[in-house]
Amino acid sequence: MKLKNTYRFLFLALFISSTSCIDPFEFENETFESALVIEATITNELKHQEILLSRSYQFEEEGPNPETNAEVKIIGGNVSYLFQEVEPGKYLSEYPFSAIPNTEYQLFITTGNGRSYTSTPTQLTQGTQIDDLYAVREIDDNDVEGMSIYVDSYDPTGNSRHYRYEYEETYKIIAPRWVSKDLVVIDETRCLVDFAEKMQEERTCYNTEASLNINLVNTNGFSEDRISRHLIRFIDRDSYILNYRYSILVRQYVQSREAYAYYETLADFSGEGSLFSQSQPGFFGGNISSVANAQEKVIGFFDVSSVASKRIYFNYEDFFAGEPFPPYAVSCFEVHPEQFTAGGACGGLINGILTDEIIYVAGGTYVENMDPTIPLDSLLFGPFTMVIRACGDCTALGSNVVPDFWED
Amino acid sequence: MKNHILAILLFLNFWCVFAQDNNPKISLSFQNYSVEDVLKSIEEKINYRFYFVLDWLKGTSVSGSYENASVDEILTDIFNETLINYYIAKDGRVILTKNNIIYDALPDGFFGNTTQGTISENNNEEEESISAPVFFNEATTTQRTPVETIRIGKEDKNSNRKRFTLSGTVKNAVNGAPVPNLALVVQGKKIGTVTDTNGAFRIELPAGLNVIETQSLGFETALKRVIIYNDGRLDVTLNESYEGLKEVVIDADADKNVEDTNIGSTQIDVGEMKNIPLVLGERDIFKVATALPGITNVGEGAAGYNVRGGKTDQNLILLDDAVIYNPAHFFGIFSAINPFTSDEVTIYKGNIPARFGGRLSSVFDIRTKDANIEKFSGEASIGPVTSNLVLEMPLVKGKSGLLLGGRSTYSNWILRSLDEKELQKSKASFFDIIAKYNTKIDNKNSIKATGYFSRDAFSITSDSLYNYNNSLASLRWNHTFNDKHNGSVILSNSHYRFNIDFDGNEATNFKLGYAINETELKLQMKYLHSETHKFDYGISSKLYGVEPGSVEPGSSGSIIEPLTIPKERALESAVFVSDNFKVSDQLTLDAGVRYSIYAALGEAAQRIYEEGLPKGEETLLEVREFGSNKVIETYGNPEVRVGARYFFNPEFSVKASYNNAYQYIHSLSNNTTVSPTDTWKLSDINIRPQHARQYSLGFFKNFEDNMYELSLEGYYKRTDDILDYKVGAQLLLNEAIEQEVLQGEGKSYGVEFLLKKTKGKFNGWLGYTYSRSFVKLDGDFIEETVNNGDFFPSNYDKPHDISLVTNYKLTKRYSFSANFVYQTGRPVTVPVGNYILNDVEYVFYSDRNQLRIPDYYRLDISFNVEGNHKIKKFAHSFWNISIYNVLGKNNPYSVFFVTEAGEVKAYQSSIFSIPVPTITYNFKF
Repeated sequence: MKLKNTYRFLFLALFISSTSCIDPFEFENETFESALVIEATITNELKHQEILLSRSYQFEEEGPNPETNAEVKIIGGNVSYLFQEVEPGKYLSEYPFSAIPNTEYQLFITTGNGRSYTSTPTQLTQGTQIDDLYAVREIDDNDVEGMSIYVDSYDPTGNSRHYRYEYEETYKIIAPRWVSKDLVVIDETRCLVDFAEKMQEERTCYNTEASLNINLVNTNGFSEDRISRHLIRFIDRDSYILNYRYSILVRQYVQSREAYAYYETLADFSGEGSLFSQSQPGFFGGNISSVANAQEKVIGFFDVSSVASKRIYFNYEDFFAGEPFPPYAVSCFEVHPEQFTAGGACGGLINGILTDEIIYVAGGTYVENMDPTIPLDSLLFGPFTMVIRACGDCTALGSNVVPDFWED
Repeated sequence: MKNHILAILLFLNFWCVFAQDNNPKISLSFQNYSVEDVLKSIEEKINYRFYFVLDWLKGTSVSGSYENASVDEILTDIFNETLINYYIAKDGRVILTKNNIIYDALPDGFFGNTTQGTISENNNEEEESISAPVFFNEATTTQRTPVETIRIGKEDKNSNRKRFTLSGTVKNAVNGAPVPNLALVVQGKKIGTVTDTNGAFRIELPAGLNVIETQSLGFETALKRVIIYNDGRLDVTLNESYEGLKEVVIDADADKNVEDTNIGSTQIDVGEMKNIPLVLGERDIFKVATALPGITNVGEGAAGYNVRGGKTDQNLILLDDAVIYNPAHFFGIFSAINPFTSDEVTIYKGNIPARFGGRLSSVFDIRTKDANIEKFSGEASIGPVTSNLVLEMPLVKGKSGLLLGGRSTYSNWILRSLDEKELQKSKASFFDIIAKYNTKIDNKNSIKATGYFSRDAFSITSDSLYNYNNSLASLRWNHTFNDKHNGSVILSNSHYRFNIDFDGNEATNFKLGYAINETELKLQMKYLHSETHKFDYGISSKLYGVEPGSVEPGSSGSIIEPLTIPKERALESAVFVSDNFKVSDQLTLDAGVRYSIYAALGEAAQRIYEEGLPKGEETLLEVREFGSNKVIETYGNPEVRVGARYFFNPEFSVKASYNNAYQYIHSLSNNTTVSPTDTWKLSDINIRPQHARQYSLGFFKNFEDNMYELSLEGYYKRTDDILDYKVGAQLLLNEAIEQEVLQGEGKSYGVEFLLKKTKGKFNGWLGYTYSRSFVKLDGDFIEETVNNGDFFPSNYDKPHDISLVTNYKLTKRYSFSANFVYQTGRPVTVPVGNYILNDVEYVFYSDRNQLRIPDYYRLDISFNVEGNHKIKKFAHSFWNISIYNVLGKNNPYSVFFVTEAGEVKAYQSSIFSIPVPTITYNFKF
């Protein structure tokens, strides 16, 4: 049980909202500390378990900053599981394995500079299934209509208590202004274009996105260890991702009390807080520390969690039959950019095609070749009707490969 | 014209005598007689009577021999070398005067032809009323109101008394309240007195005419011609001087700045702060306080005050003797103290008198006005956010009265009427009400009773409703034993609670509550032993009861398990004595000592942890149970409160003090600012009391007849065992709170400069403070150590702080005011790097408070219009037009780092980023 921390700034009251403001500002680290970041969640799934190592980076930089050439192993139940670096900072266990109950697992890392880190011994948590995962059409607290995805779970033993949820959503995209032809630039210096047949699937695509928030819930203070109607995701009905077919995979991690507290603090500090009172931020350590220097700040938690997952699918018609479809991801207004500028240089059409910003929809006529130096019988000239690329090519928004799991 | 001429007349001292024509002749001879004896001899020979003050004649002996001389001749000789004049009346009475001469006629043509009526009127009055003629000695020429002549007592011709006692009271003509500290001066004579706290005075006047002038800030100067024949009584009512009110005067007594022994105390006269520019039309005692050196808060809109580098929970805020736990509405934008019902606030930030205890940094002693016991009156204001109404009604005229005050906001109505959907759903409402009853049982007993209630409700998410309320009551019985001994018995109770109703999901709806209650009984005595020793002493005992938290299902379908954290109880008692010892005219000592004893009481369970290890589930040894009323732990501590003042000259003094204090109750907050859901925790086995020691030294100088006050104060303060929290601590509904708590050290020091102009068309003050405040959290383990165990600046460490408060009176009715504030930006904790976990970017914090937000500055202006001063008007009105933050400076309040859609964004927030104009209308009736 936890109070919702998603305080909204600007609706506290009229007189405050109209005078107060929240502005983004440019921040640069005046002091920078390089700390080892360890992402290590080992589950009861049989697979190549994955550990990611990186280092903190400057605020104004792009991350991550992988930690390479480290030795990583987990010892559990007198077995040593070695990890190998498969790409910079990404370490996979040599062999697939799954964490088993009543066994203590301990993480050992030695970085390239010779420093050693170790976790406290950790046991696998109680495994609890997702009882139900379901979508409901409803109006949320902010009076917005859409689809809510809820999860129910129940542990009759009462040992699970701390839950963390991740999801992965996949949805079908159909480009609304798809045509079979593409307009391509055949001569950049002379600004000439021609039609070409599309070489790949650009009409139907699928996009998959992972959750980016920390979704935690606990049943402490409840009379039973029951998760009921816990919100995983809310999708505005005007979102294009609902347009055809939508699927969501929810993973439920049962966490230890310590791991849960770590994620809770992480969520608290990365959330908005209240305008008037803000949590005092500071460093919070997990269960991993430096062997040589207890004062060294190490980020991350070695979590051995049991995980359960469930996937559901639904179509727009299942809930909104006969109702108007949500607008597409982008606005598909038509433009007629000029092929040449008044000075004879290449116009917006050529530049737009070359930068993949616009795509052909209709128009264009062939004109007799008037320049014998050009080895073509005829040339294509405008006006051309163009739209933003995503309207005619769904690969701008997703992948044209049907996912393995996809069921239509 | 009349007064003018009279004044000229009276200014002139003639050393000549207008003798009587037909005076009898006598023969007399005397050798080294006292003057008195000579006069007696004359009295024996002829039917003359002499009236004089014996003191005037003492020590002179005269010799002389007269044959058939007139009395006039003899007296001329006798008094030739002295200051004595005499007047021989027709009926044979001879009045001796010192300095002044009695006239019975005027030199011919002295006034030209215009003066006849004027003088004769005066003469007639005298002739009719008294047989001993006396002239008026009026020194001022500017008084336009006619001076009232009052005759006191019945003349007793046989009485030889030269002096009579005049006593009475002075009251405010508007509300009948007594006027204390009013000076009554007899013009031309070195006689004067001051009214006491009940407005009563007692003065010995020489027989005959005395012109009494009253002098006080905030009241008209009144002149009374008092012709006194015998002991008597004179009650005076005075009108408030609006001129005086417009001034922003902090000290009531003109020379208090230099004279008071107590260093670091400040008074705010609430009535006088009405011209200070306001935000959203609310006069606010605390906002004015923060414009004074040494008192700050984290930022505008932040609740809680930091006094001389102290934490926000270290202020004892008393409303009529009862503690008010959360004196803020709407997070801190508004104060919960009604400005119309408040009379005076005394803030002690340096040497806290021994009669106060329980908090380390300051005492805000807020006093509610006594109700008008003469006539029904009221005051109301209409502002953009709130309205306020105060009524004062006499219950028994001249004896007892009742004051009722209420304030409420209409923000909910505003919010509901908006188009914006999100705003419609939010809620913010508050109100506060106060009632005070005062009665004077007799001259020795009076009773005052106050009741107060405030409530706030707000929602910041649509599924949770927060509300909190303060309620308090106090009863004070003042008793005077005799002239030297008086005392008060005070019984007070205060209660603070907050609730959170969460109504989102049927299964998880809950109601959460917290409450603290305290009841105190205090005996406070004053013993005026002598001019040199004045004692204060007393005893107090306070019982705390805390309900640290409870949660219950919010609806029948909720699976929330009811949970109640066990109640905490404690008894805090103290004895105190202090002596204001006047060592010499220059040096006064104020030596006080307080012994406080605290006992945490059962029924309770206490966790015992392994020594020398961080408190946690792993180091828990046992849970010790204590039965009901069993003492769990006691802490007893002597607290020394010593101050001294030394006068270099009457306008320049130096003061110093040493002060230590203990605090047994702590607020729990892991926020950077105060939040209404912060809870209070009592000391127990695991949480030690906080302790502070403060040294202060200051120089105080008044200039130009107390028109300018200048002070320079410095302090150094150390605190121990102040509470802080582990990162990410969960403080609400936590049974083992000690596992989350760190106790560390604090250090602060500063120099405070204040220049005040108390009088004149242009008045106000300029304050500058340089201060630092640090915290040190140095444990043996990484989770108990912050910033490597070194001192780091506190959240409210703002080294430079300038406040300018000014008021300029154009006329009696129109005035301009302006405030300017500049402060160093406060320290904030910022990331030292970013990292990625589960494909999401986060920031990484390390040391606290390593960066400062940009400096803060703000200018506010206001224009004030007083209604006209016609006496017969129904109500006296007052308009205030203010613009807060007229420069529109977007002052950052805080910075924060948020992960949005997997990426970190840096934001800064500000509360009042644009100019905020306000108009308020106030009226008094």
